[in-house]
Amino acid sequence: MEPILLLAHTEEDGRLAKPALEALGAAIGLGGELTVGLVGRDVQCGANQIAGSGARILAVTGAEFAEPRYATDAAAAEALCRAAGAAIVVAPATSRWARVLPGVAHRLGGRVDTHATRLAMENSVPTVTRWFYRQRMEAVLTRSQRPWIVLLEGGCAPAWDGSAGESACPTLVEAKVDTRTTIQGVHSPQAGQETIRPDAKLLFVAGAGWTKKQSDGGVHAADAEQLILGFLNASKASLGGSKSLVDLSGEGQAVLGFMTHLNQVGQTGSTPRHPKGLSTCCHGEEPHAVGWRFITERRAINLDANCGWARGKADVVYVADAFAVMRKVNELLGA
Amino acid sequence: MTEERQFLDVDIVCVGFGPATAGFLATLAPQLLNADGTPAIESPTVPGMPLQVVCYERADDIGFGVSGVVTRARGIPLQWIDPAKIPMSTSVRHERVAYLLDPVGASRRTPAMKMADHLVRGLRLAKDDAFELPYLPPFLRKDGGAILSLGQFLQNAGSELMATGAVQIWPGTPVAQALVEETLDTPAVRGIRLADQGVDREGHPDAGFMPGMDVRAALTVVGDGPVGAVGRQLDRELGLPKGHHAREWALGMKMVVELPPDSVLEAGTVIHTFGYPEPEIFGFLYVLPDNLATVGIFVPSWFRSPMRTAYRYLQHYMLHPYLWRYLQGGKLRSWGAKSLQESGKRGEPILAGNGFARIGEGSGSTNVLTGSGVDEAWTTGSLLAEAVVELARAGQPFTKENLERTYVARRRRAWIEEEGRVAEKARDGFHHGLVPGLIGMALAGFTKGRLGVGGEPRLMPSLEEYYAGRISEAEVSRIVADCRARGVSCHDALMDRCGWPEIPMDGQLLVSHQDALLMGGKVQAPAGFADHVRFVFPDFCERCAAKTCIEMCSGQAIAPGDGGVPVFDREKCVHCGACLWNCTAPLEDDPTGGNIAFTAGSGGLHSTEN
Amino acid sequence: MPQPLQIVVCGSIVPDPLQTLEPVAGPALKNESMLPAVLDPWAGHALYEAANLARTVVGSKVWLVSLGPKAKLQQVMMTVAQKAAFELVALDGPASGFTDAFETAAALAGAIEGIAGLDKSRLLVFGGWESASRGAGATLQMVGERLGIMEQFQGVDRITVRDDGSFEVLERIEGGKHLVSICAAPPAVLGWATGYLGEPRNNPQLGMANMRAILPALQKAKPAALPSTGLCFGSVSLPKQQRETRIVKDMPAEEVAREIVAWIGEE
Repeated sequence: MEPILLLAHTEEDGRLAKPALEALGAAIGLGGELTVGLVGRDVQCGANQIAGSGARILAVTGAEFAEPRYATDAAAAEALCRAAGAAIVVAPATSRWARVLPGVAHRLGGRVDTHATRLAMENSVPTVTRWFYRQRMEAVLTRSQRPWIVLLEGGCAPAWDGSAGESACPTLVEAKVDTRTTIQGVHSPQAGQETIRPDAKLLFVAGAGWTKKQSDGGVHAADAEQLILGFLNASKASLGGSKSLVDLSGEGQAVLGFMTHLNQVGQTGSTPRHPKGLSTCCHGEEPHAVGWRFITERRAINLDANCGWARGKADVVYVADAFAVMRKVNELLGA
Repeated sequence: MTEERQFLDVDIVCVGFGPATAGFLATLAPQLLNADGTPAIESPTVPGMPLQVVCYERADDIGFGVSGVVTRARGIPLQWIDPAKIPMSTSVRHERVAYLLDPVGASRRTPAMKMADHLVRGLRLAKDDAFELPYLPPFLRKDGGAILSLGQFLQNAGSELMATGAVQIWPGTPVAQALVEETLDTPAVRGIRLADQGVDREGHPDAGFMPGMDVRAALTVVGDGPVGAVGRQLDRELGLPKGHHAREWALGMKMVVELPPDSVLEAGTVIHTFGYPEPEIFGFLYVLPDNLATVGIFVPSWFRSPMRTAYRYLQHYMLHPYLWRYLQGGKLRSWGAKSLQESGKRGEPILAGNGFARIGEGSGSTNVLTGSGVDEAWTTGSLLAEAVVELARAGQPFTKENLERTYVARRRRAWIEEEGRVAEKARDGFHHGLVPGLIGMALAGFTKGRLGVGGEPRLMPSLEEYYAGRISEAEVSRIVADCRARGVSCHDALMDRCGWPEIPMDGQLLVSHQDALLMGGKVQAPAGFADHVRFVFPDFCERCAAKTCIEMCSGQAIAPGDGGVPVFDREKCVHCGACLWNCTAPLEDDPTGGNIAFTAGSGGLHSTEN
Repeated sequence: MPQPLQIVVCGSIVPDPLQTLEPVAGPALKNESMLPAVLDPWAGHALYEAANLARTVVGSKVWLVSLGPKAKLQQVMMTVAQKAAFELVALDGPASGFTDAFETAAALAGAIEGIAGLDKSRLLVFGGWESASRGAGATLQMVGERLGIMEQFQGVDRITVRDDGSFEVLERIEGGKHLVSICAAPPAVLGWATGYLGEPRNNPQLGMANMRAILPALQKAKPAALPSTGLCFGSVSLPKQQRETRIVKDMPAEEVAREIVAWIGEE
């Protein structure tokens, strides 16, 4: 069994977030001697969180490691990997690690696999499962090179739920580096317009049909906006869009003002993870539907009983007018 | 803010990349460069460089064209058509023709056909509701030929041509018009103008406006097909030769199907059928390697139903027991449609003029007797290339006289001319019905065109007339009004009412029309271009009862709209051109034209597996 | 005035997104050579951003370094060349999503080092933050490391170059937010998300001008066979796609709404 290193960075509050705990669970599942490498301004809190794992804890700390940045995070990760001497390095696929760990793999003469949806031992060999071609096909692979860095997607493994405790001070590792990059801060979308909620139970996708002519011959973009925003506020769902609707918004047409390229699902957009997804006014063609790969339960509202969703892509298709249905839904949710 | 119009000077510009232009470029390209890379024919426009030859194709990529191709491949050299090299192609091995009986009882058989049906059934000659003809007339046979995928064929040709470095083929670039200069005696074509980009649906400048570039050239080669905008512009501006017309058409629609794993069909099998789903509809099934097949139908202009349509009939066709025994369990791989020019030699336009030459199907090369077009198109292109080389080497200009002397003369001497003459009147009998038409074809085929059955197109019946005796006038009106109010075509409701059974959709091969577009054709259209289908005079549409354009639209891109004027969704259009010849509104100044302006747009079919 | 930049965009071809894809032994895609190809969409965004940046920082130049089968690259170039001005460095090799990012990065970095007149103090390496084929989001980082570039950004939506040559970068992070950084000077690596620019119109004149150099570059494309070392695929499969869809017709909107609300509330 090969020595494992789990790399985790702390959040602003000094704690380890759920993706890190999921990666920890997966790392433990591989068996083998486990070392944990923590990166952050101050990691004691994070170390305490996982004291119950019994892993040896190394850390790179300091002000320069408070924020995500390639040069500093890469130096930290590299130092931790060398100090731990692990064969397999597991990390949560956060944007912070996704930025640097492939580069670190190169520095160590190892290899990297990202967006892993499963990391497990099969016949005593560590294997990674990941998707190719925009979630169109799934592959199981192994590598002989070491170290092998694996970034595990959030929501794919159960979070480690062991006990917290008083952890001994982690062993500090040096990682000095010069960098030309300074972090200015974080841009959030306008207050009240936050429509992307990665932890939401439900993904709500609005398709181009919301802005097309309805049965009365008119376009009701304002109503559509109100209904959709009302639903998002009441249900705390995350908002997704199809490429066509997002493109329309981009071309400055007076459509759904809150829809941006960041909301796009499928195509050049995201493949979000949510237990449930509700598609409205969207045909469900393949390039969009591949973005639904990780949505477990799917329902659609579409006036076309022969739309793509009806052909095996959704569990239920309601042949109904989305405007009428969502109006009633909002009423029931007290929106 | 006016954007200045760009321009470019080349020597030869080609419109459309299909088999004809491929034949032209394939014959021309090797002659432009010497073995050491120096120009064999120097460019007058860019001295020191070889002839500058460019081709503009409106589809998003070359190889997105569609056709159901079985060909004798006499004009196409082996290197371009080698089944061993090109995917989805194979040599012809078996050929059959089958007369299909009607298993559902909804087909409109004439008394003669009903008699034939009784006879066939009575003598127990039918198997799987079909009668395979024991004899195949020689003019229909394709032995020694090949079955191809047009997409693969063109993709291969295009790739090889561009690799020579001698010619450039630009996809995604629709041509708006030829630049015609009116001179004292005869007009001259000075090049072409590309379509404006960054415009709204009506063609007005919008975000990112770029006026279409002018490409000036001594020779414009027009190979844009039977519904090509430039070809039809020249027909309008220069007129057709006396007595010629382009009024015989067919809409070919087909699918590429992955056969079920236990399929017994052998690659190279060619099946042609007639009789079902309607007497007017001919069909085909060609078997390709790797368990693929293409299956399709032709809906001709002599099918005088105001509600004629293709997709629904294609589904019923596939469900016919004779075919369904092979297709059941199959999966849709791709789908497409195109218009075929069936006027043959009588549809031949002015083949050459000052600065231009016409090749391919748009120049009337398709042989409607043998049902062959690709070979003929390639040959016309190849003959033009020979003429161009002759003139260029002699330093002679591309004038009407010179092109007639070199290109047209070659064409008249070639096999396509002789065979075209034989085919010239071969289809006229169909204006009287299927049986007279078949007799006419046989006569023409066996007497080398000396005898035939004459006929002229007849007026389309009104909706009431067409359904008389089956559906009452009142009910027809009600159904039509209801469908139009819902913004959908009428043929489904009317066919249902006439006894056509509902299609049992299986999500794999029998899919909704829109699913065929998306799954099969992968149809789409880039933004920033104007609508390429427009209804010229709204009041004609308001008065039109049948609106056959809606029923025949291959992509359901034309739908009923407010006040009776149809609406057009360019993202669904596959550029088949059916609307063009299905508009029955006569225009005062052009009785052969309709109320639909159809220009070259971008996008459409998006699969090379066709 | 900022110094002129050398912007090298890495990007290859992927199957046109509308196509149906199926894996076969290899692993590879069924009929891969027959599938219409397009420039990877994120690499495309990177290229348009590069062209846009090159216009704003006077004297800058754009290269496109592309590893793919030569014949397919040629076809794709006919469209891409109409969208932006760039010099092509082509490598003739596989563009399959099943190749290893490590090997691809080695080939790309080698080609970049080989660019005549390369000045790393002015170099920005652009690319898509991941590809629509392999989808790893690993290649650019390794290219950067091989070139010795330690300032790297991923999921970029905007770059703004300031007069002193420094630049501000917006990178996508969790929750629909952006991280804002300032980098004092090149070299840097930027893996682009979609940015905010639309796809440029086809400009045939630009295409013709580009083609004069692109066609010879394609003809000179160096073969780049990627060694397959140590990466082993146990299986590649299409997910079971078909659900038994229950189609609900003729249910009044209120009832549909009630059913949906109940479903949302379920655990």
